[in-house]
Amino acid sequence: MSKLNETDIQGFVLRGYNLPVARYLFLHFEGAKHARSLIARLLGHVTTGQRWDGAKPQSTMNIAFSQRGLERLELPDATLLTFPVEFQQGMKHRAGILGDDGLNAPERWDEVWRAERVHAWIGVNGLNAEAVEARCAEVLQAMSETGGAILLGSQDAAAEMVNGRPTTSEHFGYTDGFGNPDYLGVERSSQPGQGKLLPDGTWAPLATGELLLGYADEAGELPVAPVPHLLASNGTFMVYRKLHQNLATFRAYLDKQAALYPGGKEKLAAKFIGRWRDGTPLELSPDGPNPSIAQDSLRSTNFTYSADADGARCPIGAHLRRVHPRDSFGFNGRLINRRRITRRGLPYGRFAAEGEPVSDSEERGVIFMALNASLSRQFEFVQQQWIQYGNDARLGNDKDMLIGSHGGRGRFMVQGDATTTNPPFMCGNLPDFVELRGGEYFFLPSITALGMIAMGLVDPR
Amino acid sequence: MPNKNGSVYGLTILSPIIEDEKATPSHDLQIRNYLSKLSTREDSPFALAPGTHLARLVVMDDVIYVGMPACEEHLKSKYLIFESNLDGDLDGYLNGLAASIPEHLDAIWQHCVGYPGAGSRRAFVDYMKACQIETTFFFAAVNDKSVTETLRALQTQTAVTDFIARHQGADASTLQRDFIAFLGYLKSLPLPKAGSMGPHRPIETGGRNE
Repeated sequence: MSKLNETDIQGFVLRGYNLPVARYLFLHFEGAKHARSLIARLLGHVTTGQRWDGAKPQSTMNIAFSQRGLERLELPDATLLTFPVEFQQGMKHRAGILGDDGLNAPERWDEVWRAERVHAWIGVNGLNAEAVEARCAEVLQAMSETGGAILLGSQDAAAEMVNGRPTTSEHFGYTDGFGNPDYLGVERSSQPGQGKLLPDGTWAPLATGELLLGYADEAGELPVAPVPHLLASNGTFMVYRKLHQNLATFRAYLDKQAALYPGGKEKLAAKFIGRWRDGTPLELSPDGPNPSIAQDSLRSTNFTYSADADGARCPIGAHLRRVHPRDSFGFNGRLINRRRITRRGLPYGRFAAEGEPVSDSEERGVIFMALNASLSRQFEFVQQQWIQYGNDARLGNDKDMLIGSHGGRGRFMVQGDATTTNPPFMCGNLPDFVELRGGEYFFLPSITALGMIAMGLVDPR
Repeated sequence: MPNKNGSVYGLTILSPIIEDEKATPSHDLQIRNYLSKLSTREDSPFALAPGTHLARLVVMDDVIYVGMPACEEHLKSKYLIFESNLDGDLDGYLNGLAASIPEHLDAIWQHCVGYPGAGSRRAFVDYMKACQIETTFFFAAVNDKSVTETLRALQTQTAVTDFIARHQGADASTLQRDFIAFLGYLKSLPLPKAGSMGPHRPIETGGRNE
C-alpha cells in the first residue's frame, strides 16, 4: 500500500485544515427518505482528502453520523448490529468506562447531548466567519429544501487571532496541536516524533489501520468494522467532546501553587503540561522556553523520555507525557502504538488576556475531536487508563492533572532534582480545570459510503 | 523453584468439577454463579484471608475448537482453575485460607471431585496440593514485598504526599512540629484493608476495558 485514494476519504480525516474558524452543526433526521435526499444533495460538496496544491478553499464541509442517525437512515439491521459495541451504545452510555462522573456526568451535559437526539454532525471550517456563515447557509438551505433534517443546535469555534493571524493557543495559554501521528500512505508534512519509535531511535508512520477502517493496523489485523466492507473502508470513528475550561479556577490555582514553587510560575505551568506555554518541550529545554526549538519541526516533537525516567525534566504525570508516553513504558515505545489518536478541533469562547478578570461560568473551552479506527482500543483506553488512572505510569490512582475528574481531591507530583530551581513539588487538592459538557461518538464514512447511504445501497449480504 | 519468584509464590490449582447429569443447575454453573457475586474489593474472600496479592478463579469447560488447521481436542473434565500470587510458604497460606474463609471455600469447591471440606484442615491442604500443577512461569507485579508491607507502603505514600501538599512553604519550626505529630499519627493508623486502595469505579470489569 503506497498511496491512499484521497478523493474517497473525507478531508477532515487526512488533514487538519489549518482553517481558523469553524461551526459544527448538530442534525436530527425526521425520516430516512428525506434524510437520504439531503445526503445526496450534500454529497458533491463534501470536502475530500484531495490535495489543494496551493488553492486553499474558503471553507470545507464534512459529515459524520451517530448510531442513532444510521438507524434513522434505515441502514439494514444486519449492518447496524455489526458496528462496534461502544459506537452502538454512544458516548453517554460509556460514562462509567470513561470516568465521566462528578462535574462531567451526563446529567450536567448541555441539553443537545443529554437527549441523544443528534443524528449527524456537519463540520464546517473556513478562512473567516463569513466563509463559514456562507457554507452553513448552503447546508441549512439544503436541509430545509429536502426536509431531510432539523438543526438541533450548533457550536462555533475559532482560533485566537493575534495581529490578524490565527494562533494555536488554547485558553489556559498553552500552544496546542503538536502531537498528531503520521500514518502510512497519508501525505502530510511530517516531522520526527509524530509516528512510532523504531529501535534505532528514528520515527516511522503508524499503520494506516490505526486511523482508517479497511487497512491493516499495528497488529497486522483489520480493525473491527461494520459490514459490508465497502461501507467501512476509508472511514473512521470520531469522538466529539465539548470540554469547558474553568479559566478562573486554573489561573487562581496556578498562582497559589506558584507562590510556593521555587522554580517560578511559568516553570510550574510548563510542568503541568510538559511544554512551556510557547510549546517548547520541557524534555528538550528544561530551564526555559526556546522559540528556536518550539518552531523547529525537526525538534519540536522529536524527543523521548528514557533519559528522564525519574521525571526531573518532564514530570511523569505531565499531561503530554500521560497521553503520549513515547518510550516511557520501555520496549522502545511499542506498548503505545495501538493507543494513538488523531486530534482535531478548535477552542470556543472569548480569549481572555493574562490579568484580565475572568469567570468559570463564561462559555469557554475546546472542542475536542479525536479520530481513530477503534474507539475502545484507542480513545477510550487513553481516557480510562492514562487520564483517569495512573497505574501504567506508576502513579497509583492519580489522574491527569489537566483534564482528570478530580473533585477537589486530585494531586499531581512534580518530580525534581537537588537544584534549588527544580525541586520536587506536590500539587494537592486539584480541582476540575476542565468539565465535559457533552459529546457523542460518530462514524465518518468514505465518499463512496456516503453515496451508498444516500442511495440506500448498503447491503450487508 | 519455578513456583517461586523472590518471596512471592505463584500457585496454580486445577480441580476437576463434578460431572452429574442430574444436577440442576450443573455444578460448573453453580460455581460460576457463586463467583459472579463475589466482591473484587475489600470484601473479596481473598482480601479477608491473609497473604494474597492477586487471585483469579476461572471455570474452564473445555478447549474450544477454532476450526482448520487446528485439530479437535477435548478435556477429560471441566476444571476449576485457581491462580494466586501469595506470600510465604504454601502450607501456611492454605491453612490461612481454611481458617479465614472456610464457608467461601466450601461453597466453591463443594462442586469439585473429592473435595474434603475446609473443616478438615489436614485433608483440605492435602487436597489442594494434590490438585496443584507447577506454575513454571508467572508475573507478579508486587516488587517482592509482602501484602502487609505493600498496604503499609501505599498508606504511607498517600499520607506523606497529603502532608507535603498541606505543608509546602511552611516555616521550619512548624514543619518540624507538624511532622513529629504526623509521624505519631501515621504509626497509629490501622493497616488498610486489602483490596481497599484501588480506584473506585462504577464498573467491575477488573480494569482494562477490552
